Amino acid sequence: MSDTIRHRLTPLEKSERRLGFAMLAPAFLLLAAVVLYPIVELIRNSFHFNHLAQPWMGTPFVGFENYVKALGDDRFHEAVLHTVLYVLVTVPGAVVIGLGLALLANQPFSVKWPVRLGLLLPWALPLVFAGLIFRWFFEYNQGIANAMLRGLGLEPLNWLTSPGLAFFAICLAIIWKSSSFVALVLLAGLQTIPKSFYEAAEVDGATKWQQFREITLPMLRPAIFVALIFRTITAIQTFDIPYAMTNGGPGNSTETLAMYIHKTTVDFLDLGYGSALAVLMFIVSAVITSVYLRHTRRDPGRH
Amino acid sequence: MTSRFTRRMAARLGLAAGLALAGAAYAQAQTTLRIFTGGQQRPDVMRQIVDGYMKANPNVKVEVEVGGATSEQQQQYLNTVLASKDSALDLILIDVIRPAQWAAAQWAEPLDAYLGAEKDAIMARYLPAYRAANIVNGKVIALPYFADAQFLYYRKDLLEKHGLQPPKTWDELKAAARKIMAAEGNANLRGFETAGAPIEGTVCTYLVPLWGSGEDMLKGGKLNLAGAAAKKPFELWADLKAANVTPPNLAEIPTDRIRQNMQAGNLIFGMSWGYVWNRLQNDADSTVKGKIGVVPLPGFTADRQATCIGGWQVAVSAFSKNKAEAAKLARYLSSPEVAKQQAILASHLPVFPGVYTDADVLKANPWFEQALPVVQSARSRPVTPRYTEVSEIMRTNMNAFLAGTKTADQALGDMTNRLGAIFR
Repeated sequence: MSDTIRHRLTPLEKSERRLGFAMLAPAFLLLAAVVLYPIVELIRNSFHFNHLAQPWMGTPFVGFENYVKALGDDRFHEAVLHTVLYVLVTVPGAVVIGLGLALLANQPFSVKWPVRLGLLLPWALPLVFAGLIFRWFFEYNQGIANAMLRGLGLEPLNWLTSPGLAFFAICLAIIWKSSSFVALVLLAGLQTIPKSFYEAAEVDGATKWQQFREITLPMLRPAIFVALIFRTITAIQTFDIPYAMTNGGPGNSTETLAMYIHKTTVDFLDLGYGSALAVLMFIVSAVITSVYLRHTRRDPGRH
Repeated sequence: MTSRFTRRMAARLGLAAGLALAGAAYAQAQTTLRIFTGGQQRPDVMRQIVDGYMKANPNVKVEVEVGGATSEQQQQYLNTVLASKDSALDLILIDVIRPAQWAAAQWAEPLDAYLGAEKDAIMARYLPAYRAANIVNGKVIALPYFADAQFLYYRKDLLEKHGLQPPKTWDELKAAARKIMAAEGNANLRGFETAGAPIEGTVCTYLVPLWGSGEDMLKGGKLNLAGAAAKKPFELWADLKAANVTPPNLAEIPTDRIRQNMQAGNLIFGMSWGYVWNRLQNDADSTVKGKIGVVPLPGFTADRQATCIGGWQVAVSAFSKNKAEAAKLARYLSSPEVAKQQAILASHLPVFPGVYTDADVLKANPWFEQALPVVQSARSRPVTPRYTEVSEIMRTNMNAFLAGTKTADQALGDMTNRLGAIFR
């Protein structure tokens, strides 16, 4: 089959095709160098002992030893649990808040830029800055959260040094930071919904709530799915904000999987074990993404 | 034809002249050395010192790169630089706990060859603890830059006002703090602070009371945390917390916050390092100038006091491209002149016993006279190539305990389990 196609190509087409490959090659090679090569290296490392603080041990092949170690490592279990909790709280949180923001920004304001700027700013702020800012909000002595509690005549709280409150504070920061991205995606979706639908609904006497449920939500579904996928993947990789706010503390009660991997590789220089943890995280992300993708493909709301 | 020839000739001549100029410039050109230091190790003073060096050595240009405030933050950055064998840094200021780890990872250029025949004479000048810390398996891994130990800083004015002596035991400290806090009635005034955040300094928050009760973490290379002494640090900090002497947010306090709180007049007693003195006495925003005293840390009994040894060393990166020049600068930075300069400008404790009694040094730091025996008796955190892991286990569990998320038994149990896997 391919032979017949190739025979049918004129010399001009052939050279066009060669040119096409040649022009794609740099991008492909770059991608291979920064994505494929590290992934292959990561997987290879995960089957070896490789501890840079103990160079005399060499890098012997150890089979699944690193993976077996991970399955029995309490700290890995805790980090996975914390990550799952962050996903369960911050993904729906960001989508709900983001939807609200998008609906607000979609209102026919005469001056649009303040709302748009308000949407863009948290999104444009580097994650670690957001973490540092919120850390000061929740700091015990000088933080605004405790200043408000004191103003109300209440006792100040140990926001960042008690596990429950620290989790809450971190989730708040993540939702604040990420809902604006969700809002931007949803706003784009909202603007594709024809005005005539709402006008027709108005004529038929539908309430605002009915319009929202029967027109906005179904029409917005593809956009919501896109936002969910992106938000979930970034939530699985949560690192910067808890790193800046608590560095995983108190103890390691707010430590995420990405933080534990960072600690194992960058701090402890245990590249073998850290790679195994990273491969496990990669698998989890890939599985969740594929579930989402399958769901979107089946989604009738797309057309 | 001729014109083209001449043009080509001219071009060649021009090129040759250019090369010659570049060569001449190269001969004069400078070796640029880049030195890495932490934000808390007074980079401003380092800058003054290397400026002096550059004046005396015009062929050398020294850049100072400033890293994170805490030891583990700096090491995190250095891990990525050195694991990738990056030659960007020539000299690096490293914590006293690191030489063993650096020797094992082969990140530091052994300095023996650069010291030559003088090696033994040079090393003999230092305080024994620093000589020992910087020689690993017979090789000089780094040269001491300044010494350090933890001391008890106290508000001289408040103690005098309430007729109290500087405490020699933790019980005396607790009683003094409670008395002053009750009498002053200032809601912002705290009794005592030590590092409690999950940072390097918090390792000492555990070790100091452990040593104070007469035990050490390791015995013959084996973990030694099974006895009653291993619980003493938890009991001590729980006791001070219950008495409201330590603040409720102790678990979020890193080393330099103690200095800041003291400087703002909000702290009676602080357990911290030598640099604090100079900042409290000289910083423009210090509200406690002339109101501070420094004494050795308290113990469980007055006759058994313990403290953590600290201090910073200059290492030459094994990946530097200018090792000979870097080693020369390292020797200069580790000289008695520089030690004196640092003592006066930054209250950095000297690594040479003689400098402690220098008249100018004592004028700037009257307490240095009593500091020498403290530094001499200060003890070392466990020496191991896997120190980053050891430190992380200790500080994380200590932090969890101070935050109240783990009981003493849980924290000690988790610490013992994880440390046991390292010290097998």
